Amino acid sequence: MRPFLLQVAAVTLINLKSIPQRFWLSLSTVVAVALVVMVLLTFLAMSYGFQKTLSGTGAADVAIALRGGAAAEINSAVTRDQVRLIEEGPGIDRGADGRPLTSAELYLVVDGVKRSTGTKANLPLRGVGRDGANVRKGITIQAGRMFAPGSNEVVVGKSLASEFAGFDLGQTVKLGTSQWTVVGVFTADGGVFESEIWADAPAVQSLFKRENYFQTVRARLESPAALASLKQYVESDPRLKLDVKTEQDFYAEQSGQTTDLIQKLGWPLAIAMAFGALAGALNTMYSSVAARAVEIATLRAIGFGGTPAFIGTLVESLLLSVIGGIIGAVATWLIFDGFTTSTLGASFTQVVFSFHLSPALVLQGVGLALVVGLVGGLFPAIRAARQPIVAGLAG
Amino acid sequence: MSDHALVRLEGVTKGFVKGQESIAIFKALDLAIPTGDFVAVMGPSGSGKTTLLNLLGGIDHVDAGAITVAGQRIDGLSENALARYRAANVGFVFQFYNLMPMLTAAQNVELPLLLTPLKKAQRRTHVETALAVVGLADRAKHYPREMSGGQQQRVAIARAIVSDPKILLCDEPTGDLDRATADEILGVLQTLNRELGKTIVMVTHDPAAARYAKRTLHLDKGQFFEKDLAA
Amino acid sequence: MNDFVLVFKNLFRRKLRAGLMIFSIFIAFAIFGVLASFERAFNAGQELAAADRLVTVNKINFTQPLPYSYYGRIAGMEGVKRVTFANWFGGYYQDPKQFLITFAVEPRSYMDVMAEEFDIAPDAQAAFVRTRTAALVGETVANKYGWKVGDRVPLSSSIFSQKNGARSWDFDVVGIIKPKKPLIDTNFVLFQYEYFNETRSFAKDTIGWLVLQTTSPAINDKVIKTIDETFANSPFETATDTEKAFNKAFMAQLGNIALIVTLVVGAAFVTILMIVGNTMMMAIRERSREIAVLKALGFPGGRVLRLVLGETLLLALIGGLAGLGAAALVTTAMRESLANFVPGLALNAQIVVLALALMVALGLATGLMPAVNALRLKVAAGLGRG
Ligand SMILES: Nc1ncnc2c1ncn2[C@@H]1O[C@H](COP(=O)(O)OP(=O)(O)O)[C@@H](O)[C@H]1O
Ligand SMILES: [Mg+2]
Repeated sequence: MRPFLLQVAAVTLINLKSIPQRFWLSLSTVVAVALVVMVLLTFLAMSYGFQKTLSGTGAADVAIALRGGAAAEINSAVTRDQVRLIEEGPGIDRGADGRPLTSAELYLVVDGVKRSTGTKANLPLRGVGRDGANVRKGITIQAGRMFAPGSNEVVVGKSLASEFAGFDLGQTVKLGTSQWTVVGVFTADGGVFESEIWADAPAVQSLFKRENYFQTVRARLESPAALASLKQYVESDPRLKLDVKTEQDFYAEQSGQTTDLIQKLGWPLAIAMAFGALAGALNTMYSSVAARAVEIATLRAIGFGGTPAFIGTLVESLLLSVIGGIIGAVATWLIFDGFTTSTLGASFTQVVFSFHLSPALVLQGVGLALVVGLVGGLFPAIRAARQPIVAGLAG
Repeated sequence: MSDHALVRLEGVTKGFVKGQESIAIFKALDLAIPTGDFVAVMGPSGSGKTTLLNLLGGIDHVDAGAITVAGQRIDGLSENALARYRAANVGFVFQFYNLMPMLTAAQNVELPLLLTPLKKAQRRTHVETALAVVGLADRAKHYPREMSGGQQQRVAIARAIVSDPKILLCDEPTGDLDRATADEILGVLQTLNRELGKTIVMVTHDPAAARYAKRTLHLDKGQFFEKDLAA
Repeated sequence: MNDFVLVFKNLFRRKLRAGLMIFSIFIAFAIFGVLASFERAFNAGQELAAADRLVTVNKINFTQPLPYSYYGRIAGMEGVKRVTFANWFGGYYQDPKQFLITFAVEPRSYMDVMAEEFDIAPDAQAAFVRTRTAALVGETVANKYGWKVGDRVPLSSSIFSQKNGARSWDFDVVGIIKPKKPLIDTNFVLFQYEYFNETRSFAKDTIGWLVLQTTSPAINDKVIKTIDETFANSPFETATDTEKAFNKAFMAQLGNIALIVTLVVGAAFVTILMIVGNTMMMAIRERSREIAVLKALGFPGGRVLRLVLGETLLLALIGGLAGLGAAALVTTAMRESLANFVPGLALNAQIVVLALALMVALGLATGLMPAVNALRLKVAAGLGRG
């Protein structure tokens, strides 16, 4: 066993020491693999960041009621009577004043301007009930204060304020036909709400001529288990043709299509590029084998086996591709991790999200690099092992 | 020196710079080769034989002095003018044949004709003639790897003569061949000289090869010594 | 034999190496072809927009409604040749996942304004105006679901319901809409606004947006100003823009697609530039003796340069054209299934021209260094090398 390992070590060393002779070619393989990994990881980080934003929204003990069949808030409609019936439902937590913690909300789309491009963007204006912030968890006013009930005041999510122009604290914005003042900036644990404008529901109703009309009702549940009883209550009342689910589920469903789309774009692109890089890797490794033909043949003549030549070539290829993979991952992390952008979400409004590179994603990237290195080294390695000794000695 | 010399070297000086030191190969070298001559150049290794051929072929430059071939001064010509000069006047034959491995014998021979305005059909006749002269008419479609060393060298000679150059420059054309094959090749060169009147300059270190030439020049310490027939 | 044969034989003397280089170029151009087709399809709305067409939406946002009365008021304005309107239905067929782009429209004026785009049989046009429950189905939709004239199809809405509580409407297919030009998308269904307005349970007498034709593109700005000023300070203020600007703004909402495409294509091209460039350098270095021989035979520098560049150009063209062909196949295969997201996905002449330019650029870029090396090669030195 020992002599075998020594042989492998000797051949591997010869391989690695000869890399500088093919510096540019080896470098091109490293760069090619790095770019493949970058493309893959950028798409995955985009998809993961979007998913994280949506799955970080809502809690398991907050119920949301929408009109039956409505997949998005913008398509939903709930009447004032239905709101009252929900408030009387079972399993709903109560506030300090003993009233049920619910919030009947309007969801309107208004125009804003994206800072980075100066183009129009659909922004969500949410009219929330008195308990809008208390029903949810994790809503914190970061600067300024909450809007006063009945006033033309809005608070804006932190992401919205940074991505879209005109929502700085104290600024006045025209939404619809009226002027609104930004009195506060809030955070929501990085969730979708941070991409929203919030105002008092009655004020929005009157200024947008939507009296007696809501899109959703939110209710804080006594516990996640209380959803079942609320659901049963809604189903048994013919006046309530509503779907009830946890807010967490509602947002998780929304992330599906977009993240799916991003991944369905990212993987095929990365795999296609990986084939291109594979061609480069094969080229480099075949050149490496050709360049070391004399050394390998000499060693074989001395009595070395074919397997060490095989392993040495494979190690060289794997090393080059892993270096490429790591460079690609680090570059993606440096350039894109935390990169913030926005796209249209399920409710036809902009969702601000940040690219996020997780260790699991990095592993997928380096894994792809390894596959390129393995396949790119395998065939040249076989050639190295099978090379006839006499032909090799001839040079 | 006769006035109808095809090649004339006058006061040619040539040296190389190797790292720090510079070595002089020729100092004020004179030489005249008349049309139809067949000169063998002998001399110790490193004496400048290849350099001489390179200068005559216009692939290297003199430091000083004049080289005239067929009435044309070739020292001081531009690279492109030299290329035209080679295409029109010079045929090279190398020790290691230097055929293109991916081309057939006929295609290798055809290469210099790509530099002429000849039409495809005319090129074919030229190639066939050249191959016939070297006795390889039946090997036109063969690749170099399918031929022996002697056959490859004959293809190389065909390539050198196909465009009917004024002078053939052969650098150790038999250096890589056995005696019998070498004699065949030298026979071909002799025929070219005697029957077609080709002027040939051949570098060799083999006295037997030199005997095929009309005269032998010895190059040593940058000077020529005409071989004394008695010596 | 000629120079091309020489170039070709040089390139393929190492078949595996040439094959690998061609393959990596093939991949890069396939990626380019597919992504460029995607980008173009995304921007098709902008490119196909008629110069004399304007879109009027609610100033708050285009998802907000406008009153029906605006249709008549805008029709009477100076500089407006024709006007029509549409209302988003939020339609789907059977399953909410099978969403269908469906508009309620005023039949006659809609077909008139879109006359340049859509090919609708005269009797279908008449039936669409006459029949209350009529629907015109785009060719793409008709093919997808196998609908024919005379079929009765139920379409549901994720937004609206009927007064009687039903979530779906029954329509009679009276005609198929065919595109008049390439790239025009027919992945949608049209039906009568009147039928919709009378049966829906809420938002009566509101419309989604208006599309109008001006008498000349030159007066677009004036018409835009007139419309928006007329409705300023009313409960329903308007924002009017050219169709092109509107479509562009809409696509921009999805994100910077052009940037993503450019980055990915850029990455793919840098990759092959490095791979092919370095491999060619190596190939030419290996052949320096042969190049010296060519020069000794009298081949001038320019000719040698051409032979080397010809090799990389040939390489780029073989790989590039094959990749472009593959991209054409891929986009054709994906067109149907992606019709809802990127209608009109196709590789067009413009992309082909751009790709050809890229092939030439790639061929020259990868061949440049090796060619210069070959040009600079000293004959005597090249011959001297073992
Ligand atoms: N390109 C060069 N650079 C430096 N020295 C050279 C070069 N070419 C030839 N020489 C030197 O010039 C001398 C003559 O070379 P060469 O003409 O090849 O000799 P020969 O062919 O007679 O053996 C040798 O000493 C050789 O080392
Ligand atoms: Mg020599």
